[in-house]
Amino acid sequence: MTDTTERDQVLHVATLARVEGEGGMHIEYRDGEVTDVQLRIYEPPRFYEAFLRGRSYTEPPDITARICGICPVAYQTSSCWALEDACGVAVTDEIRLGRRLLYCGEWIESHALHIYLLHAPDFLGYDGAIEMAADHKDLVERGLRMKKAGNDLMDVVGGRSVHPVNVRLGGFYRMPSREELLALRPGLEQGLEDALATVSLVAAFDFPDLEQPYEYLSLRPEEGYPIEDGRVVTSSGTEFDVREFTEHIEEFHVPHSNALHARLDGSPVPYSVGPLARYSLNADRLGEVAREAAGRAGLGPVCRNPFRSIVVRAVEVVEAFTEALRIIDGWRDGVAPSVPVPARAGEGFGASEAPRGTLFHRYVIDDAGIIEDAQIVPPTSQNQPSVEADLRTLVQAWRHLDDEALVHRCEQAIRNYDPCISCATHFLDLTVDRG
Amino acid sequence: MSGPPVLVVGLGHPDRGDDAVGGAVAREVGRVAGPGVEVLEQEDPTDLVLLWEGRERVVVVDAVSSGGTVAPGTVHVLRTGAGRAPIAAGEWSRTGRGGTHAFGLAGAVELARALGRLPNDVTVVGVEVSALDQGAPLTPVVASAVPTAALAVLDVLAAAPADAGPPRGAGPRA
Repeated sequence: MTDTTERDQVLHVATLARVEGEGGMHIEYRDGEVTDVQLRIYEPPRFYEAFLRGRSYTEPPDITARICGICPVAYQTSSCWALEDACGVAVTDEIRLGRRLLYCGEWIESHALHIYLLHAPDFLGYDGAIEMAADHKDLVERGLRMKKAGNDLMDVVGGRSVHPVNVRLGGFYRMPSREELLALRPGLEQGLEDALATVSLVAAFDFPDLEQPYEYLSLRPEEGYPIEDGRVVTSSGTEFDVREFTEHIEEFHVPHSNALHARLDGSPVPYSVGPLARYSLNADRLGEVAREAAGRAGLGPVCRNPFRSIVVRAVEVVEAFTEALRIIDGWRDGVAPSVPVPARAGEGFGASEAPRGTLFHRYVIDDAGIIEDAQIVPPTSQNQPSVEADLRTLVQAWRHLDDEALVHRCEQAIRNYDPCISCATHFLDLTVDRG
Repeated sequence: MSGPPVLVVGLGHPDRGDDAVGGAVAREVGRVAGPGVEVLEQEDPTDLVLLWEGRERVVVVDAVSSGGTVAPGTVHVLRTGAGRAPIAAGEWSRTGRGGTHAFGLAGAVELARALGRLPNDVTVVGVEVSALDQGAPLTPVVASAVPTAALAVLDVLAAAPADAGPPRGAGPRA
């Protein structure tokens, strides 16, 4: 073991475990002081923006959904809003509700996976979910049961549980029937019970002390908790329409990452998106069940400790199950599944709250509907500066730890963000011993 | 029990070069598979733990990378399942631990085993990849291996259950 308080230390983790996509971490010390922290992302999502140019305006919901196997609904929803905005079309309230319902399925799937299979092992002292399953089978089963409830919801509303095929510009190809949705009720009720048990479980974890002094940014809709839509709000009181996001959010390139970083209104202070930002800016918007669960879990109106993001995620799962049940109970048959979206030349903007935070899309199309320009600003890109800032604070505070313990703590700090580094491949990395 | 007793799953991303080979093989198998066989294409390996619950026999087809030591297009066949030994750590390497998705195929197998949800008879058919570029189709050498891999899957489906290992509960349990 190396004592990292010695001079000139370099810690390098080539590939991060239990995060979506491929990324690494690089930390340098000089004379016991942290001099460099880099979150290295070598999966390039930017090609998507290039190969959208020249395609039809009806294609981004399907094409961009492929950027991520965990949050395709976020890509579909943000791209639909943006292209409908470009064409000057507003969808009906029923279609908005359908989008929210589908999105609830994605939040449940994504958060249940992260809480139980990726993040809980950090707090319970296991290398991963497989090791944790040996001692806590019931917990892993609970996580999988919730994930399945999310999958089933995505199946019925979206046509399948991964990369839904029922989403189109202007709405859906087919609306699920009230009968189909009511059949989901028992699974969703069980899910709500499981989610409440999850809040109690994770609230009792031991959290390192860390307060983020950063700016928080999230959507805030006219009513309810932000999921599929809203205006942009920040913790310093700025508020702007999604149509103005490029005036406030500037993307820039850093040499060590293939994902663009982002800054807000030119500020050097990082801004952060995701569950903590959403919650801290919208705790008053949670439904009664989730709000009470948050209270029992000891969350105040604002939460600035990134390690407690697992608690906020659990509260958001409660909210997603509650919202899904509410929407299903009010569902009416016989409404139009989509509205026409005729092409017209223009620029359109859209945003929604992916499980990991605000996802912006912008498109420029010509009068035949051919895409001339596309811009996608994913949550993990926006969070890179705050991840690095967290790491900088933590590795300074934890410099007395040996390398192995420090690396583990840092990986845990990165997992607080549930980073989605443009996951796309999952080939089996195989070694063969011919000895 | 969530479907027919036999399940074939093609894993992989359709727009990432040779990563699409699992789906391509599954479609070939789907053309000739009998009524007792369900054929699916899937991108998230984590869901395998749910998908194969209650099945008697499962074949998963996935892209494989041996780090350049094996010729692209080579077909690997790995037998596992509840009655067989765990997949050796060296064979799952970074998959599911430090690799791409949260859970790789081997991770899904071992998680299911830990939960007692792993079917008795699970076979992994892997096709060695050449390139995984975004938006690219299968490389010709891997595309030409699709029929071979599909035949390997059909061989597994045609074999008597006894060939695949001891019946559930009869052999050593990992």
